[in-house]
Amino acid sequence: MLTDITLGQYYPGNSFVHRLDPRTKIIVAFLFIIGTFIATDAITYGMLIGFVALIIGISRLPMSLVVKSIKPLWIILILTLLIHMFTGQGENVIFSWRFLKVTQEGLELGVKMSLRLILLLVVSSILTFTTSPIVLTDGIEALLRPFRSIGVPAHELAMMMTIALRFIPTLLGETDRIMKAQTARGADFNEGNIIKRAKNLLPILIPLFISAFRRADELAVAMEARCYRGGEGRTRMHQLVYKKIDTVAFISTGILLIAIIVVRWGNDLCGLLN
Amino acid sequence: MEETIIKLDNLTHLYRDNNDKEFPALDSVNLEIKKGEFVAIIGANGSGKSTLARHLNALLKPAKGTCLVAGMDTSDEKNLWNIRQTVGMVFQNPDNQIVAAVVEEDVAFGPENIGVPTEEIRPRVEAALKTVGMLDYAKHAPHLLSGGQKQRVAIAGTIVLEPACIVLDEPTAMLDPKGRKEIVSTISKLNKEKNITVIYITHYMTEALAADRVIVMNKGKIAFDGTPKEVFSHAKELKEFGLEAPLAAEVASELIAAGMKLDKEIITDEELVEALCPSN
Amino acid sequence: MSIKLENISYTYMQGTPFERNALDDVSVTIEKGEFVAIIGHTGSGKSTLVQHLNGLLKPSTGKAFINDVDLDGKGDEVKKAKHSVGMVFQYPEHQIFAETVYEDIAFGPRNKGFSEEEVEKLVKDAMSFVHLDYEEFAQKSPFNLSGGQMRRVAIAGVVAMAPDYLVLDEPSAGLDPMARDVIFEEIINLYKKRDIGVVLVTHSMEEAVRYANRLLVVSDGKIILDDAPKEIFKNHSQKLLDVSMDIPQVFKLAESLRQKGLTLSEDIIDAKSLVAEIKKQRGIK
Repeated sequence: MLTDITLGQYYPGNSFVHRLDPRTKIIVAFLFIIGTFIATDAITYGMLIGFVALIIGISRLPMSLVVKSIKPLWIILILTLLIHMFTGQGENVIFSWRFLKVTQEGLELGVKMSLRLILLLVVSSILTFTTSPIVLTDGIEALLRPFRSIGVPAHELAMMMTIALRFIPTLLGETDRIMKAQTARGADFNEGNIIKRAKNLLPILIPLFISAFRRADELAVAMEARCYRGGEGRTRMHQLVYKKIDTVAFISTGILLIAIIVVRWGNDLCGLLN
Repeated sequence: MEETIIKLDNLTHLYRDNNDKEFPALDSVNLEIKKGEFVAIIGANGSGKSTLARHLNALLKPAKGTCLVAGMDTSDEKNLWNIRQTVGMVFQNPDNQIVAAVVEEDVAFGPENIGVPTEEIRPRVEAALKTVGMLDYAKHAPHLLSGGQKQRVAIAGTIVLEPACIVLDEPTAMLDPKGRKEIVSTISKLNKEKNITVIYITHYMTEALAADRVIVMNKGKIAFDGTPKEVFSHAKELKEFGLEAPLAAEVASELIAAGMKLDKEIITDEELVEALCPSN
Repeated sequence: MSIKLENISYTYMQGTPFERNALDDVSVTIEKGEFVAIIGHTGSGKSTLVQHLNGLLKPSTGKAFINDVDLDGKGDEVKKAKHSVGMVFQYPEHQIFAETVYEDIAFGPRNKGFSEEEVEKLVKDAMSFVHLDYEEFAQKSPFNLSGGQMRRVAIAGVVAMAPDYLVLDEPSAGLDPMARDVIFEEIINLYKKRDIGVVLVTHSMEEAVRYANRLLVVSDGKIILDDAPKEIFKNHSQKLLDVSMDIPQVFKLAESLRQKGLTLSEDIIDAKSLVAEIKKQRGIK
């Protein structure tokens, strides 16, 4: 059933990571992702993995939850690994059978690419696991605010996200209900070729759109009745405050990033200096 | 002298139907509501009761006549935000008036809109949630609440703005009996304890019994206006408007019609039992 | 001819932390020709129960049969059996999608495989049942109708499938008293004329006692009472209050009068019969 989907995967808690300012978390996650693209060898990857393990540890997220976040993309992970394994060019052949050839270089590249993907997934999952959607939206709005002068509608984007998050479960429930109603009227959604199937979806899509518009209309009236008039002059219940723990987070991420840069380009840098 | 909070003077609202014909959804309505009153407005679908509600919050503007809220004219653009802070509104569908994905965030929406300083918002949100008995659910996701609970959150979302008056437009139409009881007792409490003027639109007659004053709308006009006793004793006319009187009133009026000598203003079971079997 | 549920249990979101048992070992048989009302508070499992009556949900354990066809199967026979149960959901007007009233009502019969001539006849019949004039409404857009009319179009869309059983989930929700009476008059009319089985999910004790000849009370995923409505309201009022249900106002009023010494027949089910009894008592014609 559609309503079985668990969206908004916030895992409530009160750890160091949970308490960080959302802006800090978004920026740290961004810096970390840059780090994964700089990393090249076992040492740098080791540092990244150690850093992630540390964060999971102090955020007290159950390991099963973290593993689950990788699960939806396991096919892509395996494919990434296989493609690089078999197409990678290199001297050291470790396995060959007929036209298939696995080189050490290819294998290494495959592992690296898969690891990079896993790290990306895990870090973004930690961000959503430890930040409630509302707070995350606040963070995005705050980060976009400086760009308002060049026409980025920061408040409107954030309000859109807030409303979308609020209405996703409602509309999923609605879809489920309409699907059942039309099924009871004999509709079959798995019949015929693609064109027929697309046509079969109309009895669901039309009522769903009408319902979404009706909801939007009623919501707009309700928001107006509650004195909503855009972002101008608005205050927030959650004021985002930059705290000491945010400085700690920035410093540790900074150290990690510098360490990775040093390991990768350390020799070149020394050469430049000399 | 009690203060007047709502004053409608010959209020007319024209509505264009699907065939592009204009007809009055409200037809020269005159009405005065005092501060602290609990008024129920009843009427069949299309009788104009929802249209009336929307004028009180300046969501609609009069075609003719005037609508004054605490002395402010709703057709004057300047007054808009003051009017909306004076009159809060709760709508029929609980799902379509909750904005945020967390209960307390939703209740905070109003105060945020009018620029209440950050440090004052949380205490106000908590007080509002406490009033409607939903404080324990402050961190919950609205879509997992029952209908009655959602409507209580919606009520909290309006009273957090400390309005002098709240208008509820059929808030129980989509609820089960348990949810309906929750809402009626919540708003009675608001009226009695916080002295908020309540304008309660419903088509459940039994809910209207809780009010001090009942107004019956029919075809854009006020058909009856009086105490529940005065209004519900007109069982026959109510039926003609597509409504039904409370059971005791209906039974009493049938018995009177059959020639029994009973008080015309019987509207509750207790009164009917007392009239039929007097307990000395 | 019957719908039969045997030891049905249903669990939502099985295997997740949100797992919830909605039905717990429910068995019930509904015969064609019965008018069954189902009451129970929100979350009691009554909606889950009715969705098993035409195979919309597949039971976690247990079996469901329509006219002796096991619904846990494939093929035309199962499909036909499922289509013999018409289902009117809450706020059915929200499922309307076609450009004209005719096309929307014809959707079900066409899916069922009727020829165009048969479809036309079925649509006409269904429209007359819900008092929508064919000449006036058939070619209109359903989206330009009033709320009450749209609901009748949606109900006609189910009636047109010529079902043996009709399941209605709160068909009167959101309607005013007069519109409510009109909808029920149409349903009763259909029930009598076509001798179908009707299952009515409702929040209103008054509707249950007025229209149904059998009442199921659902609580906590189980059917806790199953009898004639009159018997249940007479003998089990405390049990109903315990599961936050109620008894019809007229039963309460009659009971208060009896306690004050008035002898009233046990057959009072509405205002009319109460008035008649009091008149008889007082010797008024």
